[in-house]
Amino acid sequence: MSEPKSGAAKGVIGQRLPLVDARKKTTGEAVYTDDIRLPNTLVGKILRSPHAHARIKGIDTSRALALPGVAAVVTGAENRANFGVLPISKDETALAVDKVIFVGDQVAAVAAEDEEIALEALGLIQVDYEVYPAFLQPEDSLKDVADPAHKIHARTVGETNVHKQVDQHFGDVDAALKDARIVRRGHFEFGSVTHAFTEPHCVIARYDTDGKLTLWSATQVPHYVHRALVEVTGLPMHAIRVIKPMVGGAFGGKSDPFPHEMAAALLSMKSGRPVKILFDREEVFLSHHGRHPTKTDIAVALDRDGKISGLDLKVLIDGGAWGSFGVVTTYYNGVLSAGPYDVSNFRYSGKRVYTNKPPCGAMRGHGAVNSRFAFEVLLDEIAEELGEDPCELRLKNFLPEYTTTINEFRITSNGIAEGMLRAMERSGWKEKYRQLPPGRGIGAACGFYISGSALPIHWSKLPQSTVHLKIDMDGGVTVHAGTADIGQGSDTMLAQCVAQVLGLPMSRLRVYTADSDMDPVDLGSYSSRVTFMAGNAARRAAEQIRTELIEAASRLTGYPAEGFVLEDELVVYTPLPRIRMSYMEALTEALADRGALIARGSYQSPPMGGKFKGAAAGLSPTYSFQSYISEVTVDEETGFVKVEKVWAAHDCGRALNPIAVEGQVEGSIHMGLGQLLSEQFRYHDGNVLNPNLLDYKTLSAKEMPEVECILIESGDPEGPFGAKECGEGPLLPILPSVANAIHDAVGVRIRRLPVTPEDILQGIQKNRMERSDVAAKIRVA
Amino acid sequence: MRAPLSQFGVESPSSLEDALARMEASGGRLTPMAGGTDLYVYLNAGSIEPGRWIDIWGLDELRGIAEDKTHYLLGALTTYSQIRKSPVMQQALPLLVEAAATVGAVAIQNRGTLGGNIANGSPAGDSLPSLLVYDAEIDVRSVRGSRSVPFHQFYTGYRASVLAKDELIERIRIPKAAAARAGASRFIKVGTRAAQAISKVVGAFALHRGEDGKIDRCRVALGSVAPVPCRMTQVEDHLTGQTLDGELIASAVELLDEGIKPIDDIRSTARYRRFVSLRVFERFLQESRES
Repeated sequence: MSEPKSGAAKGVIGQRLPLVDARKKTTGEAVYTDDIRLPNTLVGKILRSPHAHARIKGIDTSRALALPGVAAVVTGAENRANFGVLPISKDETALAVDKVIFVGDQVAAVAAEDEEIALEALGLIQVDYEVYPAFLQPEDSLKDVADPAHKIHARTVGETNVHKQVDQHFGDVDAALKDARIVRRGHFEFGSVTHAFTEPHCVIARYDTDGKLTLWSATQVPHYVHRALVEVTGLPMHAIRVIKPMVGGAFGGKSDPFPHEMAAALLSMKSGRPVKILFDREEVFLSHHGRHPTKTDIAVALDRDGKISGLDLKVLIDGGAWGSFGVVTTYYNGVLSAGPYDVSNFRYSGKRVYTNKPPCGAMRGHGAVNSRFAFEVLLDEIAEELGEDPCELRLKNFLPEYTTTINEFRITSNGIAEGMLRAMERSGWKEKYRQLPPGRGIGAACGFYISGSALPIHWSKLPQSTVHLKIDMDGGVTVHAGTADIGQGSDTMLAQCVAQVLGLPMSRLRVYTADSDMDPVDLGSYSSRVTFMAGNAARRAAEQIRTELIEAASRLTGYPAEGFVLEDELVVYTPLPRIRMSYMEALTEALADRGALIARGSYQSPPMGGKFKGAAAGLSPTYSFQSYISEVTVDEETGFVKVEKVWAAHDCGRALNPIAVEGQVEGSIHMGLGQLLSEQFRYHDGNVLNPNLLDYKTLSAKEMPEVECILIESGDPEGPFGAKECGEGPLLPILPSVANAIHDAVGVRIRRLPVTPEDILQGIQKNRMERSDVAAKIRVA
Repeated sequence: MRAPLSQFGVESPSSLEDALARMEASGGRLTPMAGGTDLYVYLNAGSIEPGRWIDIWGLDELRGIAEDKTHYLLGALTTYSQIRKSPVMQQALPLLVEAAATVGAVAIQNRGTLGGNIANGSPAGDSLPSLLVYDAEIDVRSVRGSRSVPFHQFYTGYRASVLAKDELIERIRIPKAAAARAGASRFIKVGTRAAQAISKVVGAFALHRGEDGKIDRCRVALGSVAPVPCRMTQVEDHLTGQTLDGELIASAVELLDEGIKPIDDIRSTARYRRFVSLRVFERFLQESRES
């Protein structure tokens, strides 16, 4: 563990602290949405489309409504309001309107006295479909559609099913490719993977007699759910309250406002009773919103000085049935690929298409994972072809700190080179690379990622994060924020930032978050923004309270305010440390004649970026950087890959809580290895064949390698206490570093994910045949 | 999505006799459930039709590991955990113990039963190749009486067996002579991941040599390479009476190659299953030869 550059001050920042909700979660005391029991709650169930693409000719709900115990039924005919997470592509409705566009699309929703009645009622709803041709391959969606009625959505590029197209070109890529010392090209294909979080989606909607709607939901962004509910229900925003209870994992899969949340609200408004909808695992898979599968064509050029002179990327992105975050995904597949390297010429052409499959959306490492994989594998191939060390090649090409990239990203703190060197040293890279016995290999890869999006998706002058603090005579500090703790520890982070500024122990902090009536707006837990943005807001709020406490101490002692500090529940005048008082004494004085101390802090990204089309995509107030080295064993008889150890260097700016950072790194590695080695949706005619955790294989604890986290603390000048993100960037390099290690072990290059033992075995056999061909030729000669 | 539970019926018999009587009376419409580890997966996935079930989990007559002079006796409800933990099993039937240890995860091993693995009849059933190696016999019973079926004759096709609709598996009998003469043995399981995975390939091999060094008993059993888990008797006959050498190993592997008929499915490819089965078998023979 490296020492923070700033010199560790006293306090809770940098301490290895258990998360504030850890005890409740491990004892089962924590309250998740499904744990909430309101009186008179109805059970909501959803009828889903059996067809990938079909017109709804008619729906007859009369038999379902007649079933005793059924309180309400809703269909798309009753509410045609569009919503969607991005204001620029709102293409969803609460329930299918006129047609269904994937197997699992919501057709009707029922609220009944119990689950059995609700399920029986679903069976009584008659839907008359006219089946349309389904678009299941992304290539088919590029073509013009003969009958406009068969387009998946009305708003697309021309008569195709293309949802979004991005073209960017910086410098002159063609010239760079032409003048290069070496050019390497590759075509890569990436399967469809999903988040596989523990807690299924769950929502409770209660429309009460006062005409107020309260929604409890397992969501990452209560604020976007709030906005979508306004559009769907027609209620004024102030009549809706959105609450996020404890969430059991999300990873991007709960960051959209969802149709089932809208359906629950409509059912509650219709029945006048609370309605709960809890998904089963199959519904979670059909609801999906996971990583976009891509087909990625890439060319990388290295010039005669060994610098990366050209990156040419062309990506076809399969978006599934809805827009979701797809416009952002389309940009991210390009704009987040060039860094962490200083690439002098860069071109990107990306197309996202609609298909009749479960919708894709945001997932940990959003948009950056697949292009990163392709780039890092080609760098390894270039190093191999030149006989160079791939780590040295990378070291020669890293962006420096405090610079601007070719696509005008503002780079501030950057500890990637230090990370690479530390990972090399710790792993024994120089002694291992190309020198391990057959079947054993080592590989390297890097990454970088945004630490929050500098521009919000809803244009507004409102801050991106706001934190309220209150301290009353009991001496406890209450933190209010709209942030969504989804297991990543953002409540703990807020408490640490405030406790640090006020010199208090964590036990004095009380964190209340993600309740739209009680807490100020926050843009939620996505794009790795919370620590950077809400952490800064929390710190700023606490600094105001600190000033008030110090002024009180100054009044009581007669010494000037400038000399006072807060630490260990004391207010101390540092020039004469015997001049001191307890925190409670200073607080009592501060409260006199005016009552509770209240403060508000907020965060808004500074202006940055270029003026070209799409310049805002990928802009962030700072970026995290990763350098990974992985060592593997490959069983040459079964093709089984065992990842033995990962040396994971991650520049998080400052580790506010090292165990929380390490948890994010380890979790990212687990998730990334799943995409690399075993996870994928299997389809037949638009039906997901493996919508369960038995047949969709996430890795088990047995496959998890030993991880040595190497935390690089570059000290970001704008981050709270120097911190930046650690939740997504750490996923990026694990896939290519292991792929490169597999090549070092058995000489097999990977072009398609997941790479199964079947593929690896085939690659080994192919190599053997080629080798024996060569041997035969030598003998003949 | 699963069907409403109200459309399912479960009967709870008080004894084995009661269970058999109910099965007979239902005219074959009752399906037995034991640990439920397969059933609950199907139920949740909505892949079974509503119907009637008979819960035999409470029938202690079908539980437990015992032995008589000639056989080890495993009640149909013996769980994988019981097999793993039994000193007798560890000593006498190591292949079965190893197979039991790879089934699902601990929670599954606590509920999943040997009789259930046999009755479910998946060609990928983890315990089945080991039972074939040990020449297991299956005692089945109905109100009509009891009978015993050699396990290698138990299955008649994909998920089809000689078990009549009114019959229950009562116990699994393993001849002590077969266990004692198993010799060098190897259990293999290749899945998508190291635990909680359905096998792509599962198999058990055993090879015993007499004092003259010649092979006098040999068993080659594989799952997931044919519609039923099966013994490769041609390979066994080919090896028996011979001395292991390079030539014999090569010809035995060739015979195995001819004898198996793996398929492509959601979990793997025919090509992969074939290659892995052959290589693991070859490695087993080579290691046996060297030992």
